[in-house]
Amino acid sequence: MNVWGQDRITWLHKANPVVKLGILLLLFTMTVLTHNLDFIMYQAAVFTVCLVLLCGLKLWKIGLFSLPFLIAFVSSASTMMLFGKGETIWWEWGLFKVSEESFYRGLHLGFKGIAFAAEGLLFVTTTSSVALFYGLMQKLKLAPKFAYSFMASIRLLPMVWEEFLIRRQALQVRGMRPVKGIRGLAERANMFAVPLLAQSIRRAHRVAAAMEAKQFDGDQGKGRTFFYESRYSRYDLVIMLLLAAAAGAAYLFSIWAPGFGIGDVRFN
Amino acid sequence: MQSKTLGGLPVKKGLRLSDILVTVLISLVFGVVYHFWASVYSLFKPLFPEAGELMYGMWFAAATLAFLLIRKPGVAVIAELAAAHIEVLFGSGWGLNLLLYGLIQGLACELVFAAFRYRKTGAWVVALAGAAAAFGSMFMDFYLSYTDDYALWMFIYKYSMRVISGVLIAGLAMLALAKALERTGVTSLLNPASSKDYAALDDARNG
Repeated sequence: MNVWGQDRITWLHKANPVVKLGILLLLFTMTVLTHNLDFIMYQAAVFTVCLVLLCGLKLWKIGLFSLPFLIAFVSSASTMMLFGKGETIWWEWGLFKVSEESFYRGLHLGFKGIAFAAEGLLFVTTTSSVALFYGLMQKLKLAPKFAYSFMASIRLLPMVWEEFLIRRQALQVRGMRPVKGIRGLAERANMFAVPLLAQSIRRAHRVAAAMEAKQFDGDQGKGRTFFYESRYSRYDLVIMLLLAAAAGAAYLFSIWAPGFGIGDVRFN
Repeated sequence: MQSKTLGGLPVKKGLRLSDILVTVLISLVFGVVYHFWASVYSLFKPLFPEAGELMYGMWFAAATLAFLLIRKPGVAVIAELAAAHIEVLFGSGWGLNLLLYGLIQGLACELVFAAFRYRKTGAWVVALAGAAAAFGSMFMDFYLSYTDDYALWMFIYKYSMRVISGVLIAGLAMLALAKALERTGVTSLLNPASSKDYAALDDARNG
Protein backbone atom coordinates (compact mmCIF):
# COMPACT_ATOMS: atom_id res chain seq x y z
CA MET A 1 0.00 0.00 0.00
CA ASN A 2 1.35 3.38 -0.90
CA VAL A 3 -0.52 6.26 0.70
CA TRP A 4 0.97 8.71 -1.77
CA GLY A 5 -0.62 7.49 -5.02
CA GLN A 6 2.27 8.13 -7.38
CA ASP A 7 1.58 9.70 -10.77
CA ARG A 8 4.61 8.32 -12.62
CA ILE A 9 7.18 5.62 -11.94
CA THR A 10 10.76 6.77 -11.47
CA TRP A 11 14.06 4.93 -11.04
CA LEU A 12 13.65 5.23 -7.32
CA HIS A 13 10.39 3.26 -7.44
CA LYS A 14 12.10 0.44 -9.33
CA ALA A 15 15.03 0.07 -6.94
CA ASN A 16 14.95 -2.57 -4.20
CA PRO A 17 13.57 -1.13 -0.95
CA VAL A 18 16.36 -2.65 1.12
CA VAL A 19 19.02 -1.01 -1.05
CA LYS A 20 17.11 2.25 -0.92
CA LEU A 21 16.82 2.06 2.85
CA GLY A 22 20.55 1.38 3.14
CA ILE A 23 21.53 4.33 0.96
CA LEU A 24 19.14 6.70 2.65
CA LEU A 25 20.36 5.65 6.09
CA LEU A 26 23.89 6.45 4.93
CA LEU A 27 22.81 9.86 3.62
CA PHE A 28 20.93 10.41 6.85
CA THR A 29 24.06 9.63 8.86
CA MET A 30 25.99 12.08 6.71
CA THR A 31 23.42 14.80 7.43
CA VAL A 32 23.49 14.07 11.16
CA LEU A 33 27.26 14.39 11.25
CA THR A 34 27.41 17.61 9.21
CA HIS A 35 28.26 20.63 11.32
CA ASN A 36 29.23 22.88 8.43
CA LEU A 37 26.64 25.46 7.43
CA ASP A 38 27.51 25.60 3.71
CA PHE A 39 27.52 21.84 3.29
CA ILE A 40 24.14 21.44 5.01
CA MET A 41 22.64 24.24 2.93
CA TYR A 42 23.66 22.53 -0.29
CA GLN A 43 22.47 19.18 1.04
CA ALA A 44 19.04 20.66 1.69
CA ALA A 45 18.98 22.12 -1.84
CA VAL A 46 20.28 19.03 -3.61
CA PHE A 47 17.97 16.56 -1.86
CA THR A 48 14.98 18.80 -2.44
CA VAL A 49 15.81 18.77 -6.15
CA CYS A 50 16.17 14.97 -6.03
CA LEU A 51 12.79 14.75 -4.33
CA VAL A 52 11.04 16.88 -6.95
CA LEU A 53 12.60 14.86 -9.78
CA LEU A 54 12.34 11.36 -8.31
CA CYS A 55 9.25 11.19 -6.13
CA GLY A 56 6.93 10.66 -9.11
CA LEU A 57 4.22 12.98 -7.84
CA LYS A 58 2.63 15.93 -9.58
CA LEU A 59 3.97 19.35 -8.70
CA TRP A 60 0.89 20.50 -6.80
CA LYS A 61 1.15 17.48 -4.53
CA ILE A 62 4.80 18.25 -3.91
CA GLY A 63 3.74 21.79 -3.03
CA LEU A 64 1.25 20.38 -0.55
CA PHE A 65 3.72 18.17 1.24
CA SER A 66 6.48 20.75 1.30
CA LEU A 67 4.48 22.32 4.13
CA PRO A 68 6.28 20.09 6.67
CA PHE A 69 9.53 21.52 5.27
CA LEU A 70 8.44 24.96 6.33
CA ILE A 71 7.33 23.80 9.78
CA ALA A 72 10.56 21.86 10.25
CA PHE A 73 12.57 24.91 9.26
CA VAL A 74 10.78 27.38 11.50
CA SER A 75 10.48 25.21 14.57
CA SER A 76 14.08 23.96 14.44
CA ALA A 77 15.58 27.34 13.75
CA SER A 78 13.58 29.71 15.94
CA THR A 79 14.37 28.50 19.48
CA MET A 80 18.07 28.12 18.79
CA MET A 81 18.25 31.59 17.25
CA LEU A 82 16.49 33.24 20.18
CA PHE A 83 17.89 31.29 23.09
CA GLY A 84 21.18 29.81 21.92
CA LYS A 85 24.57 30.45 23.41
CA GLY A 86 26.76 33.01 21.67
CA GLU A 87 29.14 35.88 22.26
CA THR A 88 28.64 38.42 19.45
CA ILE A 89 25.25 39.84 20.48
CA TRP A 90 23.14 41.28 17.67
CA TRP A 91 19.89 41.97 19.46
CA GLU A 92 18.63 41.58 23.01
CA TRP A 93 15.22 42.07 24.56
CA GLY A 94 14.44 40.60 27.94
CA LEU A 95 15.07 36.91 27.82
CA PHE A 96 15.47 36.91 24.05
CA LYS A 97 19.02 37.17 22.86
CA VAL A 98 20.09 36.75 19.26
CA SER A 99 23.81 36.38 18.79
CA GLU A 100 25.75 35.80 15.60
CA GLU A 101 26.66 32.25 16.65
CA SER A 102 23.16 31.28 17.66
CA PHE A 103 21.70 32.81 14.50
CA TYR A 104 23.92 30.76 12.22
CA ARG A 105 23.39 27.66 14.34
CA GLY A 106 19.64 28.20 14.03
CA LEU A 107 19.94 28.59 10.28
CA HIS A 108 21.98 25.41 10.19
CA LEU A 109 19.27 23.53 12.07
CA GLY A 110 16.66 24.84 9.67
CA PHE A 111 18.56 23.53 6.65
CA LYS A 112 19.24 20.28 8.46
CA GLY A 113 15.51 19.91 9.03
CA ILE A 114 14.86 20.37 5.31
CA ALA A 115 17.58 17.85 4.39
CA PHE A 116 16.05 15.30 6.78
CA ALA A 117 12.56 15.91 5.46
CA ALA A 118 13.69 15.51 1.85
CA GLU A 119 15.59 12.29 2.60
CA GLY A 120 12.66 10.82 4.50
CA LEU A 121 10.16 11.75 1.80
CA LEU A 122 12.43 10.35 -0.92
CA PHE A 123 12.06 6.96 0.70
CA VAL A 124 8.45 7.17 1.76
CA THR A 125 6.98 8.46 -1.49
CA THR A 126 8.66 5.79 -3.59
CA THR A 127 8.31 2.66 -1.47
CA SER A 128 5.24 0.60 -0.69
CA SER A 129 5.05 -1.02 2.74
CA VAL A 130 4.49 -4.45 1.21
CA ALA A 131 7.61 -4.17 -0.95
CA LEU A 132 9.62 -2.95 2.02
CA PHE A 133 8.58 -5.73 4.39
CA TYR A 134 8.95 -8.47 1.77
CA GLY A 135 12.41 -7.08 1.06
CA LEU A 136 13.29 -7.04 4.76
CA MET A 137 12.12 -10.65 5.18
CA GLN A 138 13.95 -11.97 2.13
CA LYS A 139 17.11 -9.91 2.10
CA LEU A 140 17.66 -9.07 5.77
CA LYS A 141 16.01 -12.15 7.33
CA LEU A 142 13.50 -10.20 9.39
CA ALA A 143 11.31 -12.73 11.24
CA PRO A 144 8.06 -13.19 9.29
CA LYS A 145 5.95 -12.62 12.41
CA PHE A 146 7.18 -9.03 12.61
CA ALA A 147 6.83 -8.33 8.90
CA TYR A 148 3.35 -9.81 8.58
CA SER A 149 2.21 -8.09 11.78
CA PHE A 150 3.19 -4.73 10.35
CA MET A 151 1.58 -5.40 6.98
CA ALA A 152 -1.63 -6.71 8.52
CA SER A 153 -1.84 -3.77 10.92
CA ILE A 154 -1.47 -1.26 8.13
CA ARG A 155 -4.38 -2.96 6.39
CA LEU A 156 -6.45 -2.81 9.58
CA LEU A 157 -5.81 0.88 10.11
CA PRO A 158 -8.55 2.13 7.72
CA MET A 159 -11.06 0.07 9.74
CA VAL A 160 -10.04 1.92 12.89
CA TRP A 161 -10.61 5.18 11.05
CA GLU A 162 -14.03 3.99 9.90
CA GLU A 163 -14.92 3.05 13.46
CA PHE A 164 -13.83 6.48 14.59
CA LEU A 165 -16.28 8.07 12.13
CA ILE A 166 -19.11 5.75 13.21
CA ARG A 167 -18.42 6.44 16.86
CA ARG A 168 -18.51 10.18 16.18
CA GLN A 169 -21.82 9.90 14.36
CA ALA A 170 -23.24 7.74 17.15
CA LEU A 171 -22.28 10.31 19.75
CA GLN A 172 -23.80 13.08 17.65
CA VAL A 173 -27.06 11.16 17.24
CA ARG A 174 -27.22 10.68 20.99
CA GLY A 175 -26.87 14.43 21.38
CA MET A 176 -23.46 14.53 23.01
CA ARG A 177 -22.33 18.13 22.94
CA PRO A 178 -18.60 18.75 22.92
CA VAL A 179 -17.58 20.43 26.16
CA LYS A 180 -15.16 23.26 25.66
CA GLY A 181 -11.73 23.65 27.21
CA ILE A 182 -9.12 21.18 28.34
CA ARG A 183 -11.59 19.18 30.44
CA GLY A 184 -13.79 18.70 27.40
CA LEU A 185 -10.80 17.61 25.37
CA ALA A 186 -9.90 14.96 27.93
CA GLU A 187 -13.51 13.84 28.15
CA ARG A 188 -13.76 13.49 24.40
CA ALA A 189 -10.44 11.64 24.20
CA ASN A 190 -11.76 9.18 26.76
CA MET A 191 -14.99 8.72 24.84
CA PHE A 192 -13.08 7.72 21.71
CA ALA A 193 -9.91 6.13 23.03
CA VAL A 194 -11.40 3.31 25.07
CA PRO A 195 -13.89 1.87 22.55
CA LEU A 196 -11.56 2.33 19.58
CA LEU A 197 -8.60 0.72 21.30
CA ALA A 198 -10.70 -2.08 22.74
CA GLN A 199 -12.11 -2.89 19.33
CA SER A 200 -8.62 -2.71 17.77
CA ILE A 201 -7.30 -5.18 20.30
CA ARG A 202 -10.20 -7.56 19.67
CA ARG A 203 -9.78 -7.37 15.93
CA ALA A 204 -5.99 -7.69 16.02
CA HIS A 205 -6.29 -10.71 18.26
CA ARG A 206 -8.79 -12.40 15.96
CA VAL A 207 -6.68 -11.71 12.87
CA ALA A 208 -3.58 -12.95 14.67
CA ALA A 209 -5.28 -16.23 15.60
CA ALA A 210 -6.20 -16.77 11.95
CA MET A 211 -2.70 -15.87 10.80
CA GLU A 212 -1.09 -18.20 13.31
CA ALA A 213 -3.32 -21.02 12.11
CA LYS A 214 -2.10 -20.34 8.58
CA GLN A 215 1.55 -20.38 9.69
CA PHE A 216 2.16 -16.71 8.96
CA ASP A 217 4.27 -16.51 12.10
CA GLY A 218 6.92 -18.65 10.43
CA ASP A 219 7.68 -20.58 13.59
CA GLN A 220 7.55 -23.94 11.83
CA GLY A 221 9.83 -24.81 8.97
CA LYS A 222 12.59 -22.83 7.36
CA GLY A 223 11.82 -23.19 3.68
CA ARG A 224 9.21 -20.48 3.49
CA THR A 225 8.21 -19.21 0.06
CA PHE A 226 6.95 -15.72 -0.73
CA PHE A 227 4.23 -14.46 -3.00
CA TYR A 228 6.32 -11.48 -4.03
CA GLU A 229 9.99 -12.05 -4.62
CA SER A 230 12.31 -9.24 -3.69
CA ARG A 231 15.11 -8.99 -6.25
CA TYR A 232 18.07 -6.74 -6.83
CA SER A 233 18.25 -5.08 -10.24
CA ARG A 234 20.38 -2.64 -12.20
CA TYR A 235 18.21 0.20 -10.88
CA ASP A 236 19.80 -0.37 -7.48
CA LEU A 237 23.16 0.53 -8.99
CA VAL A 238 21.67 3.52 -10.83
CA ILE A 239 20.14 4.83 -7.63
CA MET A 240 23.30 4.27 -5.64
CA LEU A 241 25.35 6.25 -8.16
CA LEU A 242 22.73 8.96 -8.48
CA LEU A 243 22.36 9.65 -4.77
CA ALA A 244 26.09 9.39 -4.17
CA ALA A 245 26.57 11.94 -6.96
CA ALA A 246 23.98 14.20 -5.30
CA ALA A 247 25.81 14.04 -1.97
CA GLY A 248 29.13 14.61 -3.75
CA ALA A 249 27.71 17.59 -5.61
CA ALA A 250 26.55 19.14 -2.32
CA TYR A 251 30.05 18.70 -0.93
CA LEU A 252 31.78 20.15 -3.98
CA PHE A 253 29.43 23.15 -4.09
CA SER A 254 30.19 23.86 -0.45
CA ILE A 255 33.89 24.02 -1.35
CA TRP A 256 33.54 25.95 -4.61
CA ALA A 257 30.91 28.42 -3.52
CA PRO A 258 30.82 28.70 0.25
CA GLY A 259 28.02 31.16 0.97
CA PHE A 260 28.72 31.67 4.67
CA GLY A 261 32.25 30.40 5.00
CA ILE A 262 32.04 29.56 8.69
CA GLY A 263 33.21 26.14 9.81
CA ASP A 264 31.65 24.25 12.68
CA VAL A 265 28.45 25.86 13.97
CA ARG A 266 28.64 24.27 17.41
CA PHE A 267 29.53 26.47 20.38
CA ASN A 268 33.26 26.22 21.15
CA MET B 1 13.41 -16.95 23.99
CA GLN B 2 12.74 -20.10 25.96
CA SER B 3 10.46 -22.78 24.73
CA LYS B 4 9.08 -25.81 26.42
CA THR B 5 7.04 -28.60 25.02
CA LEU B 6 3.49 -29.25 26.06
CA GLY B 7 2.10 -32.46 24.69
CA GLY B 8 4.51 -32.43 21.77
CA LEU B 9 3.55 -28.89 20.76
CA PRO B 10 6.26 -26.31 21.38
CA VAL B 11 4.95 -23.31 23.26
CA LYS B 12 7.01 -20.16 22.94
CA LYS B 13 7.35 -17.96 25.96
CA GLY B 14 8.55 -14.96 23.97
CA LEU B 15 6.51 -12.74 21.70
CA ARG B 16 3.97 -14.58 19.61
CA LEU B 17 2.47 -13.25 16.40
CA SER B 18 -0.67 -12.22 18.25
CA ASP B 19 1.33 -10.21 20.80
CA ILE B 20 3.20 -8.45 18.03
CA LEU B 21 0.09 -7.82 15.96
CA VAL B 22 -1.81 -6.32 18.87
CA THR B 23 1.20 -4.20 19.87
CA VAL B 24 1.70 -2.99 16.33
CA LEU B 25 -1.95 -2.21 15.68
CA ILE B 26 -2.28 -0.22 18.91
CA SER B 27 0.94 1.57 18.06
CA LEU B 28 -0.19 2.39 14.57
CA VAL B 29 -3.32 3.98 16.03
CA PHE B 30 -0.97 5.95 18.24
CA GLY B 31 1.17 6.71 15.21
CA VAL B 32 -1.80 8.43 13.62
CA VAL B 33 -2.36 10.32 16.88
CA TYR B 34 1.36 11.20 16.95
CA HIS B 35 1.07 12.59 13.45
CA PHE B 36 -1.80 14.88 14.31
CA TRP B 37 -0.33 15.66 17.71
CA ALA B 38 2.21 17.82 15.91
CA SER B 39 -0.58 20.34 15.36
CA VAL B 40 -1.59 20.25 19.05
CA TYR B 41 2.07 20.84 19.84
CA SER B 42 2.27 23.84 17.54
CA LEU B 43 -1.04 25.18 18.89
CA PHE B 44 0.45 25.22 22.37
CA LYS B 45 3.77 26.60 21.26
CA PRO B 46 2.86 30.29 20.97
CA LEU B 47 1.34 30.44 24.49
CA PHE B 48 4.73 30.98 26.11
CA PRO B 49 8.24 29.96 25.05
CA GLU B 50 8.45 26.18 24.61
CA ALA B 51 4.93 25.62 25.91
CA GLY B 52 4.70 22.81 23.38
CA GLU B 53 7.01 20.75 25.58
CA LEU B 54 4.11 20.22 27.98
CA MET B 55 2.45 18.18 25.23
CA TYR B 56 5.56 16.22 24.33
CA GLY B 57 4.78 13.20 26.50
CA MET B 58 2.14 11.98 24.08
CA TRP B 59 4.97 10.88 21.79
CA PHE B 60 6.08 8.32 24.38
CA ALA B 61 2.61 6.98 25.09
CA ALA B 62 2.60 4.01 22.69
CA ALA B 63 5.46 2.36 24.56
CA THR B 64 3.91 2.57 28.02
CA LEU B 65 0.37 1.67 26.98
CA ALA B 66 1.48 -1.30 24.89
CA PHE B 67 3.56 -2.58 27.76
CA LEU B 68 0.72 -2.16 30.24
CA LEU B 69 -1.45 -4.33 27.99
CA ILE B 70 1.13 -6.94 26.97
CA ARG B 71 3.69 -7.33 29.73
CA LYS B 72 6.47 -8.99 27.81
CA PRO B 73 10.05 -8.00 26.99
CA GLY B 74 10.48 -6.07 23.76
CA VAL B 75 6.94 -4.73 23.55
CA ALA B 76 7.85 -1.14 24.46
CA VAL B 77 10.55 -0.89 21.80
CA ILE B 78 8.39 -2.44 19.08
CA ALA B 79 5.51 -0.14 20.01
CA GLU B 80 7.54 3.07 19.77
CA LEU B 81 9.19 1.95 16.53
CA ALA B 82 5.85 1.01 14.98
CA ALA B 83 4.29 4.32 15.95
CA ALA B 84 7.28 6.23 14.58
CA HIS B 85 7.13 4.18 11.40
CA ILE B 86 3.56 5.28 10.68
CA GLU B 87 4.56 8.89 11.29
CA VAL B 88 7.40 8.55 8.78
CA LEU B 89 5.03 6.84 6.34
CA PHE B 90 2.71 9.83 6.47
CA GLY B 91 5.57 12.02 5.34
CA SER B 92 6.48 13.90 8.46
CA GLY B 93 8.82 16.83 8.11
CA TRP B 94 11.17 15.10 10.53
CA GLY B 95 11.88 12.21 8.19
CA LEU B 96 13.88 9.20 9.23
CA ASN B 97 15.03 10.76 12.53
CA LEU B 98 11.68 9.79 13.94
CA LEU B 99 12.70 6.14 13.73
CA LEU B 100 15.79 6.93 15.78
CA TYR B 101 13.76 8.90 18.30
CA GLY B 102 11.26 6.06 18.47
CA LEU B 103 14.01 3.52 19.03
CA ILE B 104 15.74 5.44 21.80
CA GLN B 105 12.48 6.39 23.55
CA GLY B 106 11.24 2.81 23.37
CA LEU B 107 14.56 1.51 24.68
CA ALA B 108 14.48 3.97 27.58
CA CYS B 109 11.00 2.73 28.60
CA GLU B 110 12.09 -0.86 28.06
CA LEU B 111 15.09 -0.39 30.38
CA VAL B 112 12.84 0.88 33.16
CA PHE B 113 10.44 -2.03 32.77
CA ALA B 114 13.36 -4.46 32.57
CA ALA B 115 14.82 -3.00 35.76
CA PHE B 116 11.64 -4.14 37.50
CA ARG B 117 11.89 -7.50 35.66
CA TYR B 118 8.70 -6.75 33.70
CA ARG B 119 6.64 -7.55 36.81
CA LYS B 120 5.80 -4.17 38.34
CA THR B 121 3.33 -1.92 36.59
CA GLY B 122 2.39 0.54 39.31
CA ALA B 123 2.05 4.29 38.90
CA TRP B 124 5.67 4.91 39.95
CA VAL B 125 7.14 2.49 37.45
CA VAL B 126 5.09 3.82 34.54
CA ALA B 127 5.83 7.42 35.51
CA LEU B 128 9.51 6.56 35.63
CA ALA B 129 9.26 5.02 32.17
CA GLY B 130 7.67 8.22 30.85
CA ALA B 131 10.46 10.29 32.39
CA ALA B 132 13.09 7.91 31.00
CA ALA B 133 11.66 8.31 27.50
CA ALA B 134 11.95 12.09 27.92
CA PHE B 135 15.63 11.68 28.83
CA GLY B 136 16.09 9.43 25.82
CA SER B 137 14.68 12.03 23.48
CA MET B 138 16.88 14.64 25.18
CA PHE B 139 20.02 12.75 24.21
CA MET B 140 18.83 12.56 20.62
CA ASP B 141 18.32 16.32 20.70
CA PHE B 142 21.96 16.84 21.68
CA TYR B 143 23.15 15.26 18.48
CA LEU B 144 20.47 16.44 16.12
CA SER B 145 19.60 19.91 17.37
CA TYR B 146 22.59 20.94 19.50
CA THR B 147 20.27 21.70 22.40
CA ASP B 148 23.23 21.57 24.75
CA ASP B 149 24.10 24.93 23.13
CA TYR B 150 20.97 26.56 24.56
CA ALA B 151 21.38 29.08 27.34
CA LEU B 152 21.42 27.11 30.59
CA TRP B 153 18.10 28.36 31.98
CA MET B 154 16.41 27.57 28.66
CA PHE B 155 17.85 24.08 28.66
CA ILE B 156 16.64 23.25 32.17
CA TYR B 157 13.28 24.91 31.61
CA LYS B 158 12.64 23.07 28.32
CA TYR B 159 13.61 19.60 29.49
CA SER B 160 12.00 19.74 32.90
CA MET B 161 8.71 20.48 31.13
CA ARG B 162 9.32 17.52 28.84
CA VAL B 163 10.01 15.18 31.75
CA ILE B 164 6.87 16.38 33.55
CA SER B 165 4.89 15.83 30.39
CA GLY B 166 6.34 12.35 30.01
CA VAL B 167 5.34 11.47 33.55
CA LEU B 168 1.82 12.87 33.21
CA ILE B 169 0.83 11.85 29.69
CA ALA B 170 2.91 8.76 28.92
CA GLY B 171 2.90 7.62 32.54
CA LEU B 172 -0.20 8.37 34.53
CA ALA B 173 -2.69 9.06 31.74
CA MET B 174 -1.76 5.81 29.98
CA LEU B 175 -2.08 3.91 33.25
CA ALA B 176 -5.60 5.27 33.57
CA LEU B 177 -6.33 4.34 29.97
CA ALA B 178 -4.99 0.83 30.49
CA LYS B 179 -7.22 0.42 33.56
CA ALA B 180 -10.22 1.63 31.57
CA LEU B 181 -9.37 -0.94 28.89
CA GLU B 182 -9.10 -3.64 31.53
CA ARG B 183 -12.64 -2.85 32.63
CA THR B 184 -13.90 -3.57 29.10
CA GLY B 185 -12.52 -7.09 29.40
CA VAL B 186 -10.47 -7.11 26.20
CA THR B 187 -7.21 -7.52 28.07
CA SER B 188 -8.27 -11.03 29.05
CA LEU B 189 -7.53 -11.89 25.41
CA LEU B 190 -3.95 -10.80 25.88
CA ASN B 191 -3.14 -12.48 29.16
CA PRO B 192 -0.45 -15.11 28.88
CA ALA B 193 -2.89 -17.98 29.53
CA SER B 194 -1.81 -19.39 26.21
CA SER B 195 0.12 -22.41 27.44
CA LYS B 196 -2.93 -23.68 29.31
CA ASP B 197 -5.11 -23.02 26.28
CA TYR B 198 -2.77 -24.91 24.02
CA ALA B 199 -2.68 -27.81 26.45
CA ALA B 200 -6.47 -27.91 26.56
CA LEU B 201 -6.63 -27.86 22.78
CA ASP B 202 -4.09 -30.61 22.57
CA ASP B 203 -5.94 -32.82 25.03
CA ALA B 204 -9.16 -32.51 23.12
CA ARG B 205 -7.52 -33.41 19.85
CA ASN B 206 -5.76 -36.42 21.25
CA GLY B 207 -8.98 -37.62 22.77
